[in-house]
Amino acid sequence: MNTDPTLTLTAPQDLRSSPWAQTSALSVRSMIALWRQPATVIPSMIFPLFFVALGTSSFSRAINLPGFPVVDSFLNFALAGAIVQGVLFGSITGAAALATDIENGFFDRLLVAPTARSSILFGRLAGAMAFGAFQTAFFIAVLLPFGLGIKSGPIGVAVMILGGTMTALGVGAIMSAMALRTGSSEAVQGSFPLLFIMLFFSSAFFPRQTMSGIYGTLANLNPVSYLIEGFRDLTIDGLTTWAVVRALGFSALLAAIGMGLSLRSLRIRLGRQ
Amino acid sequence: MTTSRVPHPILAENLVRTFGSGDDAVRAVDGVDLQVEAGEIFGFLGPNGAGKSTTVRMLTTLLRPTSGTAKVAGWDVSTEADKVRRSIGVALQDAAIDPLMTGTELLRLQAVLYGLPRNIHATRAGELLERVGLTAAGDRRVGTYSGGMRRRLDLALSLIHEPSVLFLDEPTTGLDPMSRKSLWEEIRRLNDDGTTVLLTTQYLEEADQLADRIAIIDNGRIVSQGSPADLKAEVGSPTLLISVDPTHLAAAREILTHFGEARPTAEGTLGVGLVDGASGVSAVIRRLDEASIPVIHLELNEPSLDDVFAEATGHRLEGAEK
Amino acid sequence: MNDLRTSSLSAAVGLSGRNLRNIRRLPSAFLPALLMPIFQTVAFSGTFYAITQVPGFPTDRSINWYMPLGVVMGSSFAGVGIGFSTVRDLESGFYDRIRMSPAPRRALLLGPLLSALTRAVMVVTLVTIISFGLGARTTGGPLALVTLLAAGAGMSVIGTGWGLGLAYRFKDMRAAAIMQLTLFLGLFLTTAQAPLSIMQGWLYDVARLNPFTQILQLARAGFVNEMAWQHIWGGLVAIIVISFLTTTFAWTGLRRLQD
Repeated sequence: MNTDPTLTLTAPQDLRSSPWAQTSALSVRSMIALWRQPATVIPSMIFPLFFVALGTSSFSRAINLPGFPVVDSFLNFALAGAIVQGVLFGSITGAAALATDIENGFFDRLLVAPTARSSILFGRLAGAMAFGAFQTAFFIAVLLPFGLGIKSGPIGVAVMILGGTMTALGVGAIMSAMALRTGSSEAVQGSFPLLFIMLFFSSAFFPRQTMSGIYGTLANLNPVSYLIEGFRDLTIDGLTTWAVVRALGFSALLAAIGMGLSLRSLRIRLGRQ
Repeated sequence: MTTSRVPHPILAENLVRTFGSGDDAVRAVDGVDLQVEAGEIFGFLGPNGAGKSTTVRMLTTLLRPTSGTAKVAGWDVSTEADKVRRSIGVALQDAAIDPLMTGTELLRLQAVLYGLPRNIHATRAGELLERVGLTAAGDRRVGTYSGGMRRRLDLALSLIHEPSVLFLDEPTTGLDPMSRKSLWEEIRRLNDDGTTVLLTTQYLEEADQLADRIAIIDNGRIVSQGSPADLKAEVGSPTLLISVDPTHLAAAREILTHFGEARPTAEGTLGVGLVDGASGVSAVIRRLDEASIPVIHLELNEPSLDDVFAEATGHRLEGAEK
Repeated sequence: MNDLRTSSLSAAVGLSGRNLRNIRRLPSAFLPALLMPIFQTVAFSGTFYAITQVPGFPTDRSINWYMPLGVVMGSSFAGVGIGFSTVRDLESGFYDRIRMSPAPRRALLLGPLLSALTRAVMVVTLVTIISFGLGARTTGGPLALVTLLAAGAGMSVIGTGWGLGLAYRFKDMRAAAIMQLTLFLGLFLTTAQAPLSIMQGWLYDVARLNPFTQILQLARAGFVNEMAWQHIWGGLVAIIVISFLTTTFAWTGLRRLQD
């Protein structure tokens, strides 16, 4: 029997790292990837701001229309839509990267290592959450000098950042489910129009109360409307329970659904390996 | 097939092509002279990145020369590009073919681009498909073709207007031996019909089999030119390759210098051009034996194009076959 | 066969034939270009349905305002789509084969322009039919369709020139990103969402000077106003000038491929 202490120390069973350490290492990796490929994330930061800027100039006179909530400026109205738009689009990047990992075999390399299976997914999602929090804070910070006012104050901002984080988790998880299911980054990127539809058939850019017909009905049925209105009420109304419930409740619901779907897809993919 | 109307269908003088500018400028082709005779197969041999493709791209009007002149089929590639294009057929290295189109559709598009009379498009396409053995696959999308089929279609496309000069850029790279042989046969047939062929390759065997004359290009310059037989004769002596235990390498190398010039070899092997030919082998063995150097492996090779290449460039051709 | 001549037109038709056939074979590359303007028209008219109630808004049908925008955007992206497929050909090397052929160089631009125009006609037709189904009505009689088509065709030429010029210069998918982004910005920094009369702030000046605003006005000429020359000529001039510029940009790019 070998009693050499160094050999005993490096015996593989003693090298097991905790799933927590693995998850954090993998989430750092996914955040670094976002940082190093600005071209993939910048659109989800710039476009919402661009539309806010356009809308503020184009629709400033629309705030007096019947059905429009009482707001000081279109900018205050538009913030919520920008946050959700940014988070929705940003969530594609991480999920597409997961699909690319599957395509190029990095996913398999993680699997043959003694990695906890769920760390692979959680690492990605933690990255998505961090990015969602950052985006929310970024949009608010950029728009403040242009006259953005948030009625609910710093607590409201904190609630919005939390809501943005959970929304990013939810959408990121749903997209990751698709990545795990298809293993194709193209399929994940291809879901982009779907996000566009979810966003446009909602109250992201104009109040539901001003829409009519089938369009108005669809916006009423679209949960994204209520999520956005939670954020919006925090901005233009103040810190009300109903606003917090919608901002956090709908994002939490989305997160729960997303986690369920993605864990199920992960199990299916692992079963296939 | 039409035969060339000029004695030298491909004529290049001091052809230079640089990429980039300033300190980063790379001279990919550095003063190439070529004289290809009418009706010959001319092999253009060199490793990847030696300047073969860049030279071909200039001769086929895809790239403007930085300096120097080139005439193809008697026309200047810079000032009479249109006439050059009409005289040449080109099969490209990557067999770039739109995978969404069928073989027949591609041939017909090619016929349109070359201005063939509309009433002969169908017959011409049919003839060419038959010629390269793709009649059955003509209506299938190119995306479903094998590598060999693509190369053959590529060749057919380059023949649509019965060119007098044919450029084949690495026509068999990546093909299996069977497909390679059948493509060789087709190239010989075309040449027998009078077509002048310039063929680039990194396969020595291919150049040896097909080419009447070859030029060896390395680092953008032509380092040797002539018929394969003449070039091999220039190398003269056969190459003796010897492997010994690494500890004896230096001693063995010293001994070999007495028998001829050292020749470039693979790592760990020694090579010498035996001045006395095959009869010198026993003397070499004796000397090594006297020095108590055991020989692990010994091989005597008649001069090959690889030797020609090594002699001219100082290194063996990458991917060269034994 | 040295006495053969390739006519520009037949070579251009041959090249565009290939392009149009590939629509059928690779619909995923063209369908978005067809569906996007429809979605945009529906989404904008639905979302900003109430904007027509703002005092001074020139029409009481939101779809009359946003359908021409959908047509103009869709047509320009039909042109940009040609730029995409040219990038693919450049990357695969197929474009070398086209360049090596003795077809006149102008056919190499004319072919893509023909296919872009065909694509634009498809976009205009489809968006118009659907929009009429959703309540769009002309205010300037049947001529409204002519000016709409003119704006669409013009934008497809502009988009093609821009797309090809960038494709020739970058030779990879970076070109695709740039062509999309620049056209998108160019077209949105206009009266895309609301007329000048109700705008406030920075966008007013940008949109007023942006020539694409004129082209949008041409597209909308028969949908928000009586048909009148004053709403038409600016757009026509803008189309002619910008088409000339982008086509020249493409032409010099094609020349530069040899460098």
